[in-house]
Amino acid sequence: MAAKNKSGTNDTIFNRKFEPLIYLIPFALGLVIFTLYPVVNVVIMSFKEGYRLSGAFTGWGIGNFTKVIGDKNFAVALKNTFIYVFTVVPVSTVLSVLIANLLNKKIKGIAFFHTAFFLPLVTSSIAVGLVFKYMFNKDIGIINTILTTFGAKPIDWLGAIAGTGPYNLAAVIIFGIWNIMPFTIILLLSGLQNIDPLYYTAAEVDGANSSTIFRRITVPLLMPTIFLTMIVNLISSFKVYNEVIPFWRGAAGVTGRNLYTMVYYIKEQFYANRQLGRAAAASIILFFIIFAFTMLQRWVQKKFDN
Amino acid sequence: MRVKIENLTKRFDDAVAVDNFNMTFEDGELVALLGPSGCGKSTTLNMLSGILPVTEGHIYFDEDDVTKVPPQNRGVGLVFQNYALYPHMTVLENISFPLEIKKVPKEERIKRATEMARLVQIDKYLDRKPKALSGGQQQRVAIARALVKQPRLLLLDEPLSNLDARLRLEMREEIRRIQQETGVTTIFVTHDQEEAMSISDKIVLMKDGHLQQVSDAQTLYDDPHNEFVASFLGNPPINKLYGYIKDGKFVLEDGSATVNIDNPNVKEGQTVVLGIRPEAIQLNQPQVDLTAVIKQRYTMGKEELAFVNVGNQTIRVYLSNDYEFAVGDSVNIKLRKKGSFLFDRETGARI
Amino acid sequence: MTKKKVSTFFTYFFLIIGALIMIFPFYWMIASSFKTAAEYNSYPPVWIPSNWLNVSNFVEAFKAAPFARYFLNSVVVTVSCVILTSITTILGAFGFSRMRFPGREVIFGLLLSLMMVPFEMLVITNYQTVTKLGLVDTLPVLILPFSTSIFYTYILKNFFDSIPDSLYYSARIDGASNWKYLWRVMVPIAKPSLVTIILLDAIACWNSFMWTQLTIHVDKLRTLPMGLFVFMSDEGSNPQLQLAAATVCVLPMIILFLFARKYIVNGVARGGIKG
Repeated sequence: MAAKNKSGTNDTIFNRKFEPLIYLIPFALGLVIFTLYPVVNVVIMSFKEGYRLSGAFTGWGIGNFTKVIGDKNFAVALKNTFIYVFTVVPVSTVLSVLIANLLNKKIKGIAFFHTAFFLPLVTSSIAVGLVFKYMFNKDIGIINTILTTFGAKPIDWLGAIAGTGPYNLAAVIIFGIWNIMPFTIILLLSGLQNIDPLYYTAAEVDGANSSTIFRRITVPLLMPTIFLTMIVNLISSFKVYNEVIPFWRGAAGVTGRNLYTMVYYIKEQFYANRQLGRAAAASIILFFIIFAFTMLQRWVQKKFDN
Repeated sequence: MRVKIENLTKRFDDAVAVDNFNMTFEDGELVALLGPSGCGKSTTLNMLSGILPVTEGHIYFDEDDVTKVPPQNRGVGLVFQNYALYPHMTVLENISFPLEIKKVPKEERIKRATEMARLVQIDKYLDRKPKALSGGQQQRVAIARALVKQPRLLLLDEPLSNLDARLRLEMREEIRRIQQETGVTTIFVTHDQEEAMSISDKIVLMKDGHLQQVSDAQTLYDDPHNEFVASFLGNPPINKLYGYIKDGKFVLEDGSATVNIDNPNVKEGQTVVLGIRPEAIQLNQPQVDLTAVIKQRYTMGKEELAFVNVGNQTIRVYLSNDYEFAVGDSVNIKLRKKGSFLFDRETGARI
Repeated sequence: MTKKKVSTFFTYFFLIIGALIMIFPFYWMIASSFKTAAEYNSYPPVWIPSNWLNVSNFVEAFKAAPFARYFLNSVVVTVSCVILTSITTILGAFGFSRMRFPGREVIFGLLLSLMMVPFEMLVITNYQTVTKLGLVDTLPVLILPFSTSIFYTYILKNFFDSIPDSLYYSARIDGASNWKYLWRVMVPIAKPSLVTIILLDAIACWNSFMWTQLTIHVDKLRTLPMGLFVFMSDEGSNPQLQLAAATVCVLPMIILFLFARKYIVNGVARGGIKG
């Protein structure tokens, strides 16, 4: 599309040297102050021991990292985050592939279905989380009502105190899956729509039935998109925080800290405990975990592509 | 307005696009810059418009040296190959945009834009967006937009190459008509010889950044200055026979035949190319310059042509209806003086 | 033929079940906010409130906490955020797309890699910065850190890149300045992209929570999600009141979604492509 003039009008006399700067100043200003500087600073901060909000610190070293790694609350946060990520991402991916495939068919009422499936995209996790909280209510919640209608026993999803019930994390995970599905479906749907319909026609001509087409044509051709959504969801799920907040009045992890997540831990370290260095160290650990999994997934995808 | 180009040179990092170009365009002329792609014609046009800075040399508009004048102050109108219409504006808004920039009052703006639209015969579609127009109509809008600010010079970059064949013929005539009605000095770039020959007053033929020849179309065809000019123009292309000069005569490379040439400028032993336009070749005439063997026949429209072998070289000839020809037949060839040229093999220059 | 009918039946069956699950919390939230306390607490649950015009929960919620104020704050923050982000994004994208300056590609590549860094990692330093700037407990603290976006700039720059250069030269020859060209030609052409960016930004701003939780401690400066969070942490308030408040928080975005579904969905789809 971009019509590069064949006579190389790149060095056009319109491009004064100072002008781009003027246009980039507002963008650069915000970027440097609120993104670039913090990235550099968080690395430096993580090596400052005894660092305070005032800027004072006692010395350099890797103490923050060793303390964080040795902290049993961090271990809890790590465990919960991993459980969350490795249930939410696969489950939401599988469900989303199935639904996206159905949505990609010629169906009536597509506007209704799109609205229904994509509405959670625009809504606040805090507000909808609140709704889930009441739907999860042990006695009069709608979820247990439905379960008992089908003869199952009611489940104490939220427990009396945060982090004490065996189903607490399950509740968070269910909400997390509900929350992440719309985004996943949209990505997969746009991936599906990029598949040339000729492949389907060809397979139908060859006599393949719809489940064969789904398994042998749709899923393999959709694989790059599936990998992509998994990477994007992995990154966002590792940062789980908003999903934990509404169920127990934001106290999720504090009592017993059993529902700590990585981001929750970081936030508590620096906000409640004023341990800025440890918070920085923990956030760098989080970043490298995310980075490692992203790389791993890319590597797997490459293997798959070959 | 008269446009004078003096020693114009454009160098990019690693290449010379236009080399020491001298040229004068007279007031009111319609001139074609013609040449194969990469010959520097678009570069020249862009330097005239001011989009591209000049490396060396000068451009004069009448007496003014505009070499360093920014494009918006040159008073040129430019039409791009893809028309560059603003997709979000209507035809009227597109045409009046240059006036809007100049802060012309709205009423006058609309009046002048409408007038211009009438000139290019697009006034029926003033409220349409470019997307709703055909290629030819878009072209008209682009021309109107370029002309509305009454430029001293109108520049068109490959104005017809995005149109289909039928529209191309139509727009060719239109450009000629609009140019004659406005009388604006117009320079357009094209790689299509037919386009250049059919409408322009003058053709500037370029190659590799060098000016090859400037003249009207007929002269360019009948009296090419060098081998490139001769071979660039003409369809079917000019035939070339390679050989050398011996005893003032042209001898075919393999020595199998000799042609009398009446040219006092040749030097003994000079390697040369004999260029012969297919229509300058007459078959089975009393006088014989060469003999040839018919190798293959084909038709192009109503014309019948044949490839014939002269020695071990092949040339293209028109077959006349007066004789029956069959592949393998031997024919006598006579070369007409008009349409036969001798070029130096080394330099390509006409001898 | 029958086989096809069965498959069609299952397609709709699963889609409808799925759609109901996705949409049910919204229904439950809105329905509950019209229920009386007795209706809400009854078992088995009341599916449909007896009186859809019963707005007493809203009235009470607005009495119990300044939700009108929260709403206003949310609007101010979101609108300011969107305006500022649009300006920095348009100018930045134009700078990157149209201008030629040394190191342009390198700088842009570096920026793209910065997109990988989670905002949570930046929070610590940004908190210090806004503290130093004296912005804590002012509304600008919710606006300024989000006034630039690499991602939106990237999207818009790509769109700008797709606009042929000839339009630019044409406008410049007609005497338009870069500034004029940007606002009269580029921006109108890029309208679809811009609308998407504005919508996505508005949604993100409206729902922003963690940063608000850290930097706003004054009740009258709270935004809706934050106000709702505090309200629901308050032992005294009833579920149906909380859900009425949640409705107030969510409804504007639902309405936005219903009007601009295509732009939002396309924007998200494109957002994913960037990885």
